[in-house]
Amino acid sequence: MGPIITCEHLTHWYGKRKIYEDLNFEVAPGRIVGLLGKNGTGKTTTINILMGYLKPRSGSCRIFDEPVQSVSPLTRQRIALLLEGHVQYSYMTIEQVERFYSAFYPKWNRDAYYGLMKKLKVAPGQKISRMSNGQRSQVALGLILAQNADLLVLDDFSLGLDPGYRRLFCEYLRDYAKAEGKTVFLTSHIIQDLEKLVDEVIIMDYGSILVQEDAASLMARYPGMTLEDIFIELTGKY
Amino acid sequence: MIIYKEWLKTRWVLLGILLVLGAITFYCFLNLSKVVEIRGAELLWEALVGKDTVLTEILRYLPVAAGVLLSAAQFVPEVAQKRLKLTLHLPYPQGRMLLDLVLYGLGVLSVLFLLQAVVAGAILSRWVVWELVARILRTMAVWYLAGWAAYLFTAAICLEPTWKMRALEALVAAGLFVLLFKSPIPEAYNGFFPFLLVYVLLSVSLLYYGVARFKEGKQD
Repeated sequence: MGPIITCEHLTHWYGKRKIYEDLNFEVAPGRIVGLLGKNGTGKTTTINILMGYLKPRSGSCRIFDEPVQSVSPLTRQRIALLLEGHVQYSYMTIEQVERFYSAFYPKWNRDAYYGLMKKLKVAPGQKISRMSNGQRSQVALGLILAQNADLLVLDDFSLGLDPGYRRLFCEYLRDYAKAEGKTVFLTSHIIQDLEKLVDEVIIMDYGSILVQEDAASLMARYPGMTLEDIFIELTGKY
Repeated sequence: MIIYKEWLKTRWVLLGILLVLGAITFYCFLNLSKVVEIRGAELLWEALVGKDTVLTEILRYLPVAAGVLLSAAQFVPEVAQKRLKLTLHLPYPQGRMLLDLVLYGLGVLSVLFLLQAVVAGAILSRWVVWELVARILRTMAVWYLAGWAAYLFTAAICLEPTWKMRALEALVAAGLFVLLFKSPIPEAYNGFFPFLLVYVLLSVSLLYYGVARFKEGKQD
């Protein structure tokens, strides 16, 4: 099986500001890959390009061997997307949002969603807009897990979450992805969360990729350092 | 299921529109019925035939207000926090999805307008002959068309990702409304109506244009 995501010679500018140039990377099936970088290095830009919400100045990306600008509905069924800030249809209740999404996904796993909701101790009639950031993140996670997609794309999943919810999110996600053989591509600006989560890291700095490597081998190259220490070592202090 | 989402989003605004539309329509015909009661239906005849009035002028801008409100209720939550990304990511053809959203809005507005027109027609036909009722309804049809236009242009402005293009679309919309409300004379737009209808329906393409620009990542 070939790579799930392929990006080749990706270059993007916002006006006169170069985001990156000639970016190349692949995501293999069954891997959890973390795209790390300081604010403004192009993590969300990359997710936007991958999801077809931004046309790069040059270069191309493919997901499941389809060009990202024209991914078919059938392929979109295989990709679960978590937007930055756990954006959801906040005018819906826990129950309504589940009913809505379930109609689009034939492999929908209702138990996965309600299992997580049970942990949150929220009522089915509770509106998403009236929930805390942490609770909303769990609703968003429950929805993407229930989709039973082959690829999970998560944009800055840690944004707005306290350490407890971040930990819960990471553990739940890792257990699920490993048990079900899912591929995960995620971004985060909180590096410490990713140490136990990712198999592979792509570290970006302004304009390019500094490292794309198996997380374990990267850690082995820097004995005694955490992933966060390595990140700072490579990219310089904030 | 797209319709289910739209219903959840708009039901309270729809109820509000229905109540306001109903109340003002009721007020309009209550006033007319008092006139008929006190001075007889002849006065309505005289006004309809001798003066440039259709007696329901109070209802003139209601469809525009309804169109703007419904469109805002439907599309502002879509674009807030770039939630449109969620909708476009659903495994459903994107062009059809946008069409479903628009058909929902135009369909709901049409039901409201039809309801008002039927009530107006039924009440007026008790006082004046059908030819005069038809004259009033043909005049009101332009107001309903303006309601559709308000809905579509509000949606286009919401979906457009840049302020510059939004301003341009708002200008085009303003020009259209000036044209639609320029003449207060009953049936002034009769010969022109089919062209206006086509023009308004063609403005659906602005919504597709906005989404295409959103997908290209256009921004200010």
